[in-house]
Amino acid sequence: MTDSFPVLLAVMAAAALLCRVAGFTLMRFVPVSPRVEAALRATPLGVMAGITALAVQRGGLAEGLALAAVVGLTLVLRSDVAAALLGVVVVAGLRWAGL
Amino acid sequence: MSGAPFSLDGFRRGARDGVPLAVSIFAYGVGFGLVAAQAGFGVGKAVATSAAIYSGSAQLAAVNLLQTGQATLWALFAAILVINARYLLFGATLQPWLWQAGPIRAYGSLLLLGDANWLMTMRAIRTGEEDRAYLAGTGAPIAVGWLSGTALGAAAVSVLPRPEALGFDLMLPCFAAGMVTGMVHSRIDLLPVAVGAGSALAVFHLAGPAPAIITAGLAAGAVAALLHRGEA
Repeated sequence: MTDSFPVLLAVMAAAALLCRVAGFTLMRFVPVSPRVEAALRATPLGVMAGITALAVQRGGLAEGLALAAVVGLTLVLRSDVAAALLGVVVVAGLRWAGL
Repeated sequence: MSGAPFSLDGFRRGARDGVPLAVSIFAYGVGFGLVAAQAGFGVGKAVATSAAIYSGSAQLAAVNLLQTGQATLWALFAAILVINARYLLFGATLQPWLWQAGPIRAYGSLLLLGDANWLMTMRAIRTGEEDRAYLAGTGAPIAVGWLSGTALGAAAVSVLPRPEALGFDLMLPCFAAGMVTGMVHSRIDLLPVAVGAGSALAVFHLAGPAPAIITAGLAAGAVAALLHRGEA
């Protein structure tokens, strides 16, 4: 690796910036029909479900229990933020307990 | 073109919603700072990396690649493109809403875009958020948390507890699980959830986490588009 740090940084920043703006820019040329809108609305549901599923699969019992608790707490408390923060407490507690 | 509201009020609303996320991003920033310091980055280099790339997963991959000593500029560029390809999806889903704020505000807001505040902003759009400054608002506390966390982690590498011990590594999945639960209002919403989870697991085995998340979003979107009836 002979390149200097500013060069490395500029290359990495360019790649990150490209990802940030390219999808947005391309979408300007896509007419947003109700069908496209339905797809756009469903996309975050898929991403969030995917993130959760991977965390359950990669984690152990503690992670699975904590995420199940988040789902239950969201329904009970009607606040996803409060449920998420409690989920972190749950996983920290379970790990501390050795699960 | 810039008919949509973009006000300090909307920015404040976003910032308030972003604070709980910023706490976890701060812890994640500490984690990246620790890794960067172990790879020989000083505080300045670590913070510069966090500011320039502004994406935890891409930065961790880049630092790992640099540590092998065989990273070329093209390899670094390609690695970040692949890991951050999900931002193509994030930007595309925000576009119809965000573009109405005008190009400067829209592209400026995209600089503060990350996984957590994309989720938060998509949820807010669903519940009728009209103020386009909301996205930048959610990004502001997160950016502060990310950069200050990086600095702390890189500076104090030997005295800090690992963020994993406190459960912070599970923060994003916890938010995702909570938000998806809160966003499912009818039976038809369960289908993209199931498709997203299933396709993520399937692709993860074949290609790893970054393609898995992108596939989850694309598959959920495709299913919703296919099932869409002219009149919902």
